[in-house]
Amino acid sequence: MIRFLNVGKSFPGGRSALKDVSFNLERGEFAFLSGASGAGKTTLLKLIYREIEPSSGQILVNGRNVASIPSAKVPFLRRSIGVVFQDFRLIPRKTVLENVSYLPRILGMRQQERKRLAYNTLRRVGLAHRMSAFPAELSGGEQQRVTIARALINRPEILIADEPTGNLDPELSWETLRLFLEINSKGTTVLLATHEHGYVRALGGRTLVLDRGRLVKDEYLEGHVGDIDSDSAEDVEDPARQPTGRMA
Amino acid sequence: MLVRIFGYFVSEAAVSLRRSWKVSLVAIVTIAMSLFIGGTFLLLTANLSRVVEEWRDEARIVIYLTADDLATEGSRVLEQASEPFWVTAVKEVSAAEARSRFENMFPSVRELFKDWEEEPLPPSLEVTFDPEVVGGERVDEWLASLRSDPAVVMVDDDRDWLRQLEALIAILTGLGAVVGVVLLTAAVFTIASVIRLTAYLYRDEIEVMRLVGATELFIRGPFYVEGFIQGLLGGLLAVGGLYTGYLILNPRASTTFLGNVVVDRFLAPEVLLSLLLLGSLAGLFGAVLSLRREKLG
Ligand SMILES: Nc1ncnc2c1ncn2[C@@H]1O[C@H](COP(=O)(O)OP(=O)(O)OP(=O)(O)O)[C@@H](O)[C@H]1O
Ligand SMILES: [Mg+2]
Repeated sequence: MIRFLNVGKSFPGGRSALKDVSFNLERGEFAFLSGASGAGKTTLLKLIYREIEPSSGQILVNGRNVASIPSAKVPFLRRSIGVVFQDFRLIPRKTVLENVSYLPRILGMRQQERKRLAYNTLRRVGLAHRMSAFPAELSGGEQQRVTIARALINRPEILIADEPTGNLDPELSWETLRLFLEINSKGTTVLLATHEHGYVRALGGRTLVLDRGRLVKDEYLEGHVGDIDSDSAEDVEDPARQPTGRMA
Repeated sequence: MLVRIFGYFVSEAAVSLRRSWKVSLVAIVTIAMSLFIGGTFLLLTANLSRVVEEWRDEARIVIYLTADDLATEGSRVLEQASEPFWVTAVKEVSAAEARSRFENMFPSVRELFKDWEEEPLPPSLEVTFDPEVVGGERVDEWLASLRSDPAVVMVDDDRDWLRQLEALIAILTGLGAVVGVVLLTAAVFTIASVIRLTAYLYRDEIEVMRLVGATELFIRGPFYVEGFIQGLLGGLLAVGGLYTGYLILNPRASTTFLGNVVVDRFLAPEVLLSLLLLGSLAGLFGAVLSLRREKLG
């Protein structure tokens, strides 16, 4: 589903953010991408939906070489990938509802349907009651959850989440992770970047570790649900142990 | 589906127009100004052309004779004048008749003739003819032969000054076209800058829209519609302005000959529609122009 072949990325000025990264994520897999701040996680994710292009190597998404997709076709690649941006990227002049239902709208979905779909999606992140608010009227964690709802609304084949729990309290974080697992169990490939090792250790599974632009680990970790110091730990246990979707 | 997509463009454009109504107003007013000025020329030339057509239909020549000759040679000249097949009527106007006509037309100078012994105006023959039936050349030949008649003092040809009016109309039309095109071009560039500015202000949003999968059509569509709407509003404003001007001037104008000629009738509906269309297309063109090379977002 997502294959990196010796991918390197350096930014103008010679700063090299990724070096020789190779991995393969199968359809339906769930993987963590971890690494210290500045290790290159966001850079790697941006390459997948072609916000940026690699300096070297090749990236295949769904069997297609991302670099060779003509720019007019890039939107169609992006429509199949739900992205939870680290910096949210909500449209300030649009309400929560409009932000979340933007893609359905340009896909030509009827207003009624669109609204229902947005409502249901927002309910899953616990924000159905803030539909008509503007992003500026929301807390950081609420904005983050709007971003998550927007990423999920079109049932994407791939979900890319960049630090999706960065602004959430532990309880909401676990709920969000559980949501991702649920999405994953329905077939969506999930790649989740986080530097919170706690969640990775607790849930286990495929983990890619970046260190200063290099992929230094690509391993399966055993989950240790005991590490979770939250009441919602019990809820997490079930989906975490489900092999469906989580293993390639 | 298409309707919904277009609805999306329109609603996005409307939001944007409302949000930056001040700059939009500048664009709308420039379009309106250029169409208004162009429309004024159209109004003048349309009225003038109409008058010229009316006069041309009843083209006349007037043959002036001396009073003495009228008695002796009048019937001969009259015969000569009525001979050609394109002549539809010949009317004798006596010197007295000419004077009373003149006095009716200009009552204020009636006093002037009071003490004259002789008739101030010569008698004449008014020859009406159909210029459509025969080419101008044969009419010219016929006029030349009349002019060379010793009994004829002068031959007045309406077509002479119809020609001058036509030349005036041509000049006005050309001037109007040049002024209109120059102003409209300026308006197009104003709209282009306004749209470019809007696109620049929204660049962050545009980038987000792109990242979540909006195609170029969805990025640009609202801007095209915005330009179109600005042009249309400008056109409506211009048409409204022209009509207001017409309403104000028309009743006053009808008391003077020139005014009557110039603002007797308003522009035809199809001309008004063309103005609206021109405005809208100018707006659309401005938007297309402004986003031509732009890599939005
Ligand atoms: N547009 C850019 N221009 C120049 N350098 C950049 C750019 N984007 C990222 N970098 C650099 O690339 C490196 C990796 O950045 P990246 O954002 O991928 O890190 P990260 O792993 O996502 O960090 P964090 O956990 O803090 O989000 C950093 O050193 C950063 O300074
Ligand atoms: Mg990052």
